[in-house]
Amino acid sequence: MLGCRTYLATDDLTLVKRVRTGDQRAFKLLVERYQRKVYAVALGMLKDKEEAMDVSQEAFVKVYKYLDHFKGDSSFYTWLYRITVNICIDVIRKRGGGGEAVEFDESQAMDLSEARIGALGSRLGTNPQKSALRRELAEKIQEALSTVPEKHRAILLLREIEGMSYDDLARTLDIPKGTVMSRLFHARAKVQKILSEYLELDEAKSGVGSE
Amino acid sequence: MAGNPACERFVPMLSPYVDGELSSAERVNVEQHLAACRDCTGRAADLRAESGLLRVGLDMALDDVDFKDFTQRVMARVTPDKPPFMERLKLAVSEMFLYQRTAMISSLATAAVLVLVGMPLLMSDRAPVGYAAERMTVKSIQPYRNAEVAPVVMETDNGGTIIWLVDEDSDVLPAGAEGGERHEQTGGGQPDGNGRSVPARPAPDAAPRPSGGSL
Repeated sequence: MLGCRTYLATDDLTLVKRVRTGDQRAFKLLVERYQRKVYAVALGMLKDKEEAMDVSQEAFVKVYKYLDHFKGDSSFYTWLYRITVNICIDVIRKRGGGGEAVEFDESQAMDLSEARIGALGSRLGTNPQKSALRRELAEKIQEALSTVPEKHRAILLLREIEGMSYDDLARTLDIPKGTVMSRLFHARAKVQKILSEYLELDEAKSGVGSE
Repeated sequence: MAGNPACERFVPMLSPYVDGELSSAERVNVEQHLAACRDCTGRAADLRAESGLLRVGLDMALDDVDFKDFTQRVMARVTPDKPPFMERLKLAVSEMFLYQRTAMISSLATAAVLVLVGMPLLMSDRAPVGYAAERMTVKSIQPYRNAEVAPVVMETDNGGTIIWLVDEDSDVLPAGAEGGERHEQTGGGQPDGNGRSVPARPAPDAAPRPSGGSL
């Protein structure tokens, strides 16, 4: 058991080195370590569970295949997520433009007055509990995400799922830090607007807060 | 944008503010603005709520996903053809030392204890089984009381040694082609020069006649 713990605590780069020497078990560990998060990113990007599963597996297979290309000057996970996001974007493009989100004009300031200020915060607090959420809301989140352009969506997902820093996001997606900031801002504003409207509508339907 | 003109400058900073990505100087500026602006305080609260909602909602979407076969499927796609035996052995040993050091050490210790305890037991006296049984060794030579015996040592074809104990009492035992009465030890035989024991067997007809001698 102690050996097992040591093995679980092994950092990514050590495991990568082991994989390079032919250690299959080290790779298995890396897969187990990141499978959930990689799948969550893929699901957020693609909205389709089957596709998300295929893409996540494909991402790990690519990682294994191109492990020699990984120089180790950045984190393993930023490289893994870059591969995942790129595969997702390829899949989205192959699907064709139908129903996909329209690119934001980032040069234009987002008009936040459209959304009711404080609508989300007042309903959910700063740390919503899983038990308080309904499945319908989880589905609404997926729907809201799908309205965000793919590049913006990727940033939002990596930030929320992996908690990546802006520097890591910039490295992962190979864009300047300023672009990360701007895309994140726009993506959040868009998702927030949809979720606020949904919650408001939901509240009106259920009669909560009505006179 | 909202009524307060200062908001235009601060609203884009709210997202990095809730993410903890502002410099300390920027953070102080934002906090001063938040203290004076109700709208931006609401916006910051919205961003935090949205962030929490996304995290929880995305996690919820994974609840009914079964990852049991995920690793297996990936491994099946990346596992190369079987490497040579020696490579596999080397890898297996190195992996065992790397990942299961404790289990490995305890197994080796157990094996060592078993060897230390078991070997003496295995090496202890064992009664020879049957005439000319394999691995018989001479434990002792006990001639008949008062008999005068002399050992006759012969070498066999395969390098083993046969020892006959021949009674010298010619009155009782006429010397014959078989060499008189033999007092072989049960399962008599002698370890040969190579440490192997040789089964005792009746001397062949061509065996030299015992010449006798003092024991």
